[in-house]
Amino acid sequence: MKLSTLKNAAIAATAALAISASATAQDLPGFTSWDEVVEQARGETVYWYMWGGSDAINGFVDEFYGVPLQEEYGITLERVPVADTVDVVNQVISEQQAGATGDRGTVDLIWINGENFFTLRQADLLYGPWAEGIPNAALVDWDNPAIYLDFGRPVDGYESPWSSAQFHFVYDSARLDEDELPRSYAELSDWIEANPGQFTYMAPGPGAFVGTRFVKQLFFELSGGHDQWVGEFNEDLYNEWAPQVWQTLIDWQPNLWREGETYPANQSETDQLFANGETAFTFTQSPSGAAPSIAAGIVPPTSQAFSFNDYMIGDFNYVAIPFNAPNKAAALVTANLILRPDRQAFQVQPEYGFCCGWGIDVSRVTDPDQVAAIDAAMQNLGDAAEDPSILAGALVADIAAEYQTRIEADWERYVLRGEPLPQ
Amino acid sequence: MTDVTVKELAPADRSAGKRATGKIVFYATVIFMCVVLVLPVIAFFINAFAFRWFYPQLIPDEWSLQAWQRLGLLPPPGQFSIENLFAQWASVPDVVRALGLSLWIGFLVTGVSIVIGMPAARALGMYSFRGKRLIEFIIITPTIVPPIAFSLGLNINFIRWDLALEAAGINLGLSGSVLGVSIVHLVPVMPYVVLTLSGVFANYNADFEAQARTLGAGPFRTFWHVTFPAILPGLFVACLFAFLVSWSQYLLTFLIGQGRVITLPILLFSAAGSGNNAVIAALSLIFIAPAVLILLVSSRYLSGESGAVGGFGRV
Repeated sequence: MKLSTLKNAAIAATAALAISASATAQDLPGFTSWDEVVEQARGETVYWYMWGGSDAINGFVDEFYGVPLQEEYGITLERVPVADTVDVVNQVISEQQAGATGDRGTVDLIWINGENFFTLRQADLLYGPWAEGIPNAALVDWDNPAIYLDFGRPVDGYESPWSSAQFHFVYDSARLDEDELPRSYAELSDWIEANPGQFTYMAPGPGAFVGTRFVKQLFFELSGGHDQWVGEFNEDLYNEWAPQVWQTLIDWQPNLWREGETYPANQSETDQLFANGETAFTFTQSPSGAAPSIAAGIVPPTSQAFSFNDYMIGDFNYVAIPFNAPNKAAALVTANLILRPDRQAFQVQPEYGFCCGWGIDVSRVTDPDQVAAIDAAMQNLGDAAEDPSILAGALVADIAAEYQTRIEADWERYVLRGEPLPQ
Repeated sequence: MTDVTVKELAPADRSAGKRATGKIVFYATVIFMCVVLVLPVIAFFINAFAFRWFYPQLIPDEWSLQAWQRLGLLPPPGQFSIENLFAQWASVPDVVRALGLSLWIGFLVTGVSIVIGMPAARALGMYSFRGKRLIEFIIITPTIVPPIAFSLGLNINFIRWDLALEAAGINLGLSGSVLGVSIVHLVPVMPYVVLTLSGVFANYNADFEAQARTLGAGPFRTFWHVTFPAILPGLFVACLFAFLVSWSQYLLTFLIGQGRVITLPILLFSAAGSGNNAVIAALSLIFIAPAVLILLVSSRYLSGESGAVGGFGRV
């Protein structure tokens, strides 16, 4: 016990040193070189806990990571599907309480972001910092705030990006023409008035961060810019704009689906309303737009993605390694493989089923074969996707997590329950 | 179920009018039960094979096997052949593995719970003693206390015990193992087993055993030829409860299994968030199939009649 506590303290001290020394090249705590990591990982099994709700993603992980891990590194991948990532967080906390420290935990790698990452980070239950120390970290744009901040909180090398996502919309090209589409919240307001009953959005709240995101973007547009929202939570700024946001959403209500008395609670309910023709739009986070949902038969085959011209929030999702992971070397090799350009090129193409965006900065890739793979992937995003340049032009980063909590509570209070707005 | 209804109604009906009313009530009950029990299953069947079943289609325009393909039970579209099907199944799809594990844990838990529960039930059913009410209360507490309340703490203890045993050189592995999950399933299972069986023993006449012993049968023969046949219907019900309660555990399996013991409910819960109704329906069908099968096979034992036991007694 004593020994392991000492060892942890030593790791923590090294970690603190690594942070202060440099933000780019990191050592990997517990290892002296990458070769040592790869050597030690051989023969290990990596237990990768991840949300398992999509068979397409499950299949992608088994095929595009499981196979090369086994063949190239001698690592066995055990994908552990969970219904909610918070279950994994609780597991790691339980292990810590039971004294399963060192390498006596059970979880090697977690697909994670936002609050779950913050919980583990705050409790100091993550191994690291390591994310800038793996070889392929050179391909990640660690100067991008959307990467080094996760929901506004510093990543500090305790998680490494896997892929990206960006909020945008889906419409049915059999029912609407492209030139009728709203391209801003102002245009959306007019559209809702002209098409009563055909629009709704996901109720902001736990399990529906997409709905919260939809409201955040309205903050950006009404306040005339995104820049002021970056950084620490700013109570005054929030209070300045919140009443206008709630007023806009309240003004929409008579013309919303079911007159705004109720809202869909999650992505699948929103998709279902859209598919059944009750509403005209749903939302997507995938750079291949409607393609994954079309393939799964969730939305009509004529569905098509579209983006507003500005303020479409994009973010990254990550993998993290718990402090007591039994197979840290294998977890590091897996996290590094995820960032390899050929794997990244597979993950953006709808036909392979993963359908999230790049985790790496493709302009940093120099190897000609890898560049070719990336170019080919760019041409293969499918017909149901929005033009990548439009998405890139509208991209903004997510903001501090406190905004999310405030928006969810206030939305419920003023918009859903209809309490009078503060003067 | 239906037999009982008919028997109960028959002697009460004196006039033809009453008989007609009885019939209407009987058929109304049957239809109601069908609507409640069978209709959702039919909906599952349609959903599991439907593709893009959107309003205003009353019945699906398109049918597809995509759900079964996505579950890895059928080869991918356009690659169907007997060889591919065999290859697919030879690699043991996740669903099949989960089904097997659920069955294995279910049978294990059922067997152990009966062995533990039978003596307790016999004592509770046949004898009165000081503190009996208290013991009965303690036995049913797991049905009152929400599983989350004890399972989070239990998991921590399991990990602790594992570490302690490991230090002592014993590698038992309670936490994250089938063994640990089976043990923890016993917690919600035991009340059902003990209560069902104690109801059986409450109406059990031990004089039959005495008679057998008088005629020279040993304890084992007495049990096998007298006790066992007499309590068999109740035993079946207890087994059924035990199996079904174990079969449907999600939270306990997840927490104690640490996500590594992947039973069918674990797969079902993680698929439920996908929004792909066909996959959810297909998994649900696989989930309810064994339960329905067992119920059908055992239905003849459920009438609860035998020489020494008169129905379910207090239960």
